Amino acid sequence: MPGPGIAAYLGIATFLFVTGAVGVLLRRSPLIVLLSLEIMLNGANLALIAFARHWGNGDGQIFAISVMAVAAAEVVVGLGLIVAMARKNLDLDVDDLSSLKG
Amino acid sequence: MIQTPHVDWFALSPSLALLGVAAIALLAAVLVPAGRRKAFSATVTFVGFVGAFVAAALVYGLSPDAATVISGSLARDRWGALAQIILAGAGALAVLTSYGEKTKEHVAEYYALLAAAGAGMLFLAQASNLMTIFLALEWFSLCLYVLCAIDIERKSRLEAGMKYLITGSFGSAFLLFGSALIYGATGTLRLDLIGRAIAERGLSDDPLIVTGLAMMLVGLAFKASLAPFHQWTPDVYQGSPTPIAGFMSAATKAVAFVLMIRVLQTSFQEDAHLWTVLLAVLSVASLVIGNLAALVQKDVKRILAYSSVSHAGFMLMAVAANNAIGGRAVLYYLIPYAAMSIGAFAVVAARERELGRDVSVEDLAGYGWERPVLGVGMWIFMLGFAGFPLTGGFIGKFYAFTAAYRHGWIWLVIVGAVATAVSLYYYLGIVRQLFLRSPVGAAGRPLEAGGSPPRDALLQIAVLACIAVTVGSFFGVQPLIDLARNAAGSLPF
Repeated sequence: MPGPGIAAYLGIATFLFVTGAVGVLLRRSPLIVLLSLEIMLNGANLALIAFARHWGNGDGQIFAISVMAVAAAEVVVGLGLIVAMARKNLDLDVDDLSSLKG
Repeated sequence: MIQTPHVDWFALSPSLALLGVAAIALLAAVLVPAGRRKAFSATVTFVGFVGAFVAAALVYGLSPDAATVISGSLARDRWGALAQIILAGAGALAVLTSYGEKTKEHVAEYYALLAAAGAGMLFLAQASNLMTIFLALEWFSLCLYVLCAIDIERKSRLEAGMKYLITGSFGSAFLLFGSALIYGATGTLRLDLIGRAIAERGLSDDPLIVTGLAMMLVGLAFKASLAPFHQWTPDVYQGSPTPIAGFMSAATKAVAFVLMIRVLQTSFQEDAHLWTVLLAVLSVASLVIGNLAALVQKDVKRILAYSSVSHAGFMLMAVAANNAIGGRAVLYYLIPYAAMSIGAFAVVAARERELGRDVSVEDLAGYGWERPVLGVGMWIFMLGFAGFPLTGGFIGKFYAFTAAYRHGWIWLVIVGAVATAVSLYYYLGIVRQLFLRSPVGAAGRPLEAGGSPPRDALLQIAVLACIAVTVGSFFGVQPLIDLARNAAGSLPF
């Protein structure tokens, strides 16, 4: 049974990626920014998996699995930093991270 | 029997050495008593970087012909090996400059992460497959995010770590999506096969390839802190531990450029008419923004950060020229540049440890007389950054200009020359503070005594080594250029 074409998958992947990018640029809470970064990576993952089916080779799927591992590691570091910031009673707002400037 | 790809362990040895060392240093965080933890982990990490240096030199010597290992995921060639030699040297110097840091907690983890970051960078220098590229990039980036924020009791460290994490991951996501599009257009992840597919199927104007290439370049521009993707650089350098800032400005930039050239030359020769122009524009932007922004900075680390942006512009000029001279120019340029960066940040680190706060330009007043070795070192590094003769910085810039000239871009050479002239103002401003100003604070009172703390012998050795490389790369230019020529010969320029 023919499913949607590669263009549809690529469209959704691009939409996810753009959503994530806009989220990183506009949202102020570091938690939401991390979430948006994950959405960007998942957009790329969807594209990789769709293309892997399209070409009939496994490279893209393996790539996507390792991206998931990397994304998890990234979240671990990000959440660790957020917890440390919360303990220091820093406001969880990226716009307030402005003591470094010049 | 299961068919497995042949693994060339020797080609992997530089990054494996550092990975092993990272594990040992991490175990030391638990097993070695607190009193000896720092000495143990620092020694092990230093030995690891020296070992990686030697292993990379052996790989360089024994790989006259470029080859790929493990199903084309890594390249065993002189291009990667010379880059690894530079990176391992930078890492060893970073260990020496780090030893005097005053933090008591997480010292073993610090060195473990430094070794792991070095291993990732060495891996990336060899990576020749979109997947290994992304994995290695994230491998060393994650280590650096943690290193920036390792001293979590200080707000500035946390802020630097968070900013670096967000911008770095943002850039990596662009690189990943670009990789996905290129995979979609060609059906392969291997750089050499991508190049062949583009040439054979005439894909050079395929929208997926063009978009994917642009997104990959944006991702790498974030890592190499090219304007306009440089905004994180000054904040992160200012907020992170100073030896780490020096390591980042030397090594991250080096590996990003080495990788950029490998990707562009191996896979995207057919699209050269697009990326040469794009990179030339980015180069001009980095030269202009880096130098103008550095003029108004007060904090020395921020000046060095913007200076690193402008040096990225000089190196990118050579990348954009798309010729073998450009490839040689980048590899040669990286040798004195890495030494000058680490050395300059080491001097700032020494002053910072004496004062216990961020170092502004005024804080260096008279420092050259107070600590002659560090002062003369900073003097040489600043002249080298500015591109004076008798330092490798001169030949590096000259070489980069030659590459752009050969490509027919005289206007780019003129922009570079003007940028160099502007940069004299802030580089010589630091030298003037070091030697021509008496050590008096803004309010007329003497600055906090700098002479009393004991000399940091390891840091001084690192600064002396950086001086030796900076000056030595001017006088020993021919052997280094031969090394770079052989290295560039392993890429299809």
